[in-house]
Amino acid sequence: MPSFFLDEQQIEFSQGESVLRAALRHGRDIPHYCYHAGFSVVATCRMCLVEITDMGNGRPMPKLQASCSTPAAEGMKVLSLSDKVRTAQNQVNEYLLVNHPLDCSICDQAGECTLQDVAYSYGSGLSEMNYEKRVYGWRDVGTYIMLERNRCIHCSRCERFSREVEGTSDFGMFLRSHELTFDTFEDHRIMHKFQGNLVDICPVGAITEREFRFKKRVWKLKKTESVCPSCSTGCNITIDHHRNHVERLKPRENQAVNRWWMCDEGRLGYRKLNARESRHLEPQARVKGKLEPAGWEAVYEAMANKIEEISAEGDAVLGIADTHATNEEMYLLKKLLADCFGGARAYFPFRPGTEPQTDRFLYTLITTDKSPNTQGAQAIGLLGDTDDTRLNSALAKGPKLVILLGMPCAGDKQVREAVSRAELIVLIATEKSAWDDVADIILPGLIYAEKAGTFTNKHRRVQRIQPAIAAPEHCREQCRIFVELREAMGQPLPLANARAVFEEMGGSDGPFGGLTWAEVGTLGVPLNGEKTAPAGA
Amino acid sequence: MAKEKLLLLKNIREANYKGDLDSYRKTGGFTALEKVLSAMKPEEVVEAVKDSGLRGRGGAGFPTGVKWGFMPKGTGKPAYLVCNADEAEPGTFKDHLLINEDPFLFLEGMIMGCYAIACHHGYIYIRGESIKSAEHLQRAIDSLYKEGLLGKNIFNSGYDLEMTLHRGAGAYICGEETALLESLEGKRGQPRVKPPFPAVSGYNACPTTVNNVETLANLPFIINEGAEAFKALGTPNNSGTHLVSISGHINQPGVYEVEMGVTIRELIDDYAEGVRDGKKLKALIPGGASSNVLTADEIDIPYDFDSLMKAGTMMGSAALMVFDEDTDIVELAYRTIRFFNHESCGQCTPCREGTNWLKHMIRDFMDDNGNGPMLERVDRVAEGMIGTTLCPFGDAAGAPIRIFVAKYAADFRNHFAQ
Repeated sequence: MPSFFLDEQQIEFSQGESVLRAALRHGRDIPHYCYHAGFSVVATCRMCLVEITDMGNGRPMPKLQASCSTPAAEGMKVLSLSDKVRTAQNQVNEYLLVNHPLDCSICDQAGECTLQDVAYSYGSGLSEMNYEKRVYGWRDVGTYIMLERNRCIHCSRCERFSREVEGTSDFGMFLRSHELTFDTFEDHRIMHKFQGNLVDICPVGAITEREFRFKKRVWKLKKTESVCPSCSTGCNITIDHHRNHVERLKPRENQAVNRWWMCDEGRLGYRKLNARESRHLEPQARVKGKLEPAGWEAVYEAMANKIEEISAEGDAVLGIADTHATNEEMYLLKKLLADCFGGARAYFPFRPGTEPQTDRFLYTLITTDKSPNTQGAQAIGLLGDTDDTRLNSALAKGPKLVILLGMPCAGDKQVREAVSRAELIVLIATEKSAWDDVADIILPGLIYAEKAGTFTNKHRRVQRIQPAIAAPEHCREQCRIFVELREAMGQPLPLANARAVFEEMGGSDGPFGGLTWAEVGTLGVPLNGEKTAPAGA
Repeated sequence: MAKEKLLLLKNIREANYKGDLDSYRKTGGFTALEKVLSAMKPEEVVEAVKDSGLRGRGGAGFPTGVKWGFMPKGTGKPAYLVCNADEAEPGTFKDHLLINEDPFLFLEGMIMGCYAIACHHGYIYIRGESIKSAEHLQRAIDSLYKEGLLGKNIFNSGYDLEMTLHRGAGAYICGEETALLESLEGKRGQPRVKPPFPAVSGYNACPTTVNNVETLANLPFIINEGAEAFKALGTPNNSGTHLVSISGHINQPGVYEVEMGVTIRELIDDYAEGVRDGKKLKALIPGGASSNVLTADEIDIPYDFDSLMKAGTMMGSAALMVFDEDTDIVELAYRTIRFFNHESCGQCTPCREGTNWLKHMIRDFMDDNGNGPMLERVDRVAEGMIGTTLCPFGDAAGAPIRIFVAKYAADFRNHFAQ
């Protein structure tokens, strides 16, 4: 591979790659504002200037060059820390600060603002600009975002995102020279579902998220890497939380899944994570027709006794999982039925959904399957079809014991009625639903932000979720519930946590065979022997 | 008045020359074109222009033949020749003289240029404000179509050429070739990232050459009289004659055609008949507002690309602006920076913010509110714009201000706050 030198450090590059891009790939940061790998290079912020002492042919470049638009060349010698470069960058940043308001104290971006970071490392702390600053004021430009043009540093990322990635060209450049503004047409309100990305790409606080405005200083937030469960795409995200309260969800770069983006539907999913009224917060058992709170041990004991009493097996027992459950939970459900109930089977509603057919990659992110793990259920071997034929014929046999994981088919009255005839109905769920009226025992589980596990996305890529916030006191991880239940039934399964379950799945044959927890890592891997289509291919 | 060397203005200087197609033909017009189309291969035209040493008259002074040589062949894409008739540099008014008075000379050159680079659709980009010139030029193009000198099978040579006149929307920056191409494509006129250069990816991402009006107007002479005859004029490496727009405090402002290498003093004293009202010369801007000012002591140099470069300034588009002893350089600096501030496209940080900041500070000097630190700051802010922007606009705006401050600091000191 050809290479060049950046401040004496050897850096490999691929043909046609710019100096900046190669440097960033190697973890070297040259300050920049307008450059974003997601769209075209305009080289206008002039922050990433570097000195090229040797173009690879022994000759230097007479002027400083913008590293984002300078293709790397074999043997090139680039200085990004020389005095000449520091002076120029310092000067560029000074120009940017000339009209940038000093309102960091009330700006949502403060703490994750590129301009602020660079000003701290380069700035003199003294402004020599003693004229009035440019003032525009707030504009309500979209359903999800607000625009504060005073803070704009004219990097044109929003304009390029709208034009090249999103495609509606909402943002335009108006006027010129120091009056240049990035704005929408006055009577045009941005309506699309990807507005949050504009907030992410804006290097300063010019575009802010309505949901997050004035709510939290970002340096207080802890970030936990996770996967968005709002549809089958499984965009990689971080859950940003403070004191057990989720403040927002942000996309995390994964070129094989969502690149840098995510949709606003997914972002709004953060609200649900803080909800308590809609959750099951403690185990409940039906006593004389009425659900009563109960302790975990008592519930397990009662369940074990009842199961023994019914002593049902095979087709008399069935499990139904919904596709919000993790791979591990589905695996444990299937295993429980197979091991302890004489080969009983687990079902799930198979609703694969569709992905929009479009050239715009961004729009393929939203699928009609609003659950994260439909492919996982299939890969694990739960039985399901699009019209629930198999589930209905199983129910027609009149099962005595039904175990519900999540709230599958909660809206289907027929299924509910058929299930309700069983002698024991166990519901392992996080949220209240129509199943509550039917269930004999409710075991409160954890939502995805509170537990570990894996989901399998629409392209059959296995991706990991991690606990970000603490669960309500009396709720327990679903995997743990299965393990404890088996213990109460006298058929223990020594698997401590989701990771152990996954390693066991990886140890067996089948689609998960050969995969390890560590291998899945933060970016996920395709199911065994499969190749997921790279994003946008 | 000293005698002009007439190549380009030969017809215009004739008292009865009307500038229409018939009168152009009577002076021997289109013989060069006929010769090119009937007897020369495109490469031979390129070679002839290379041999002549013709350098672009738009400002950069890049050898025209070499530029044409950069056009890649066999790309499968159409090639374009775009004529830059934007002529927006303050002080420059030579191209419009050619367009208004003798449009066929330059159109003939343009057709030959198109032929040389195998272009079948030429564009002329004229600045938006020049409505009359644009209408005039359009009439000229129409009459060429009517006479079969444009369109299909020109001179029965099998060569086809379409020509489109495009009016800009009045932005100085659209005189920069990549901004011009953006504007021509219907986009916001602002310079592109280079590379790729227009020769590789220009108009509609096809190979494109952008040439100035005056550059193209030289071609008929070069073809008719030969490269050697052209090279014999001017100084080594600066061949030919060129049009100089002289304006300011001068007795006879106007366009003069002189050989390269005539000294600036000769231009002022012998051609333009000296500084107005017998006053003394104080300052001289040799190549439009973006060139560095020369003091009265620095004008005994030949007026050509290389000599001016050596003197720390540039010939640019050959727009000489003369300022007499009563001129306040602060006022001149303010007018200059106000222009550049107004015309900056705004995409690059240093130019967008720097021109505005400089304008404010120099305005303060105008209001007798200046001081020493502010003068240093003017120099610092101007310096930061030089060499840090995407296109040469930053240099063009910053460098003249620095030189004003360096050479005429006394003028600025006169405006310090009391």
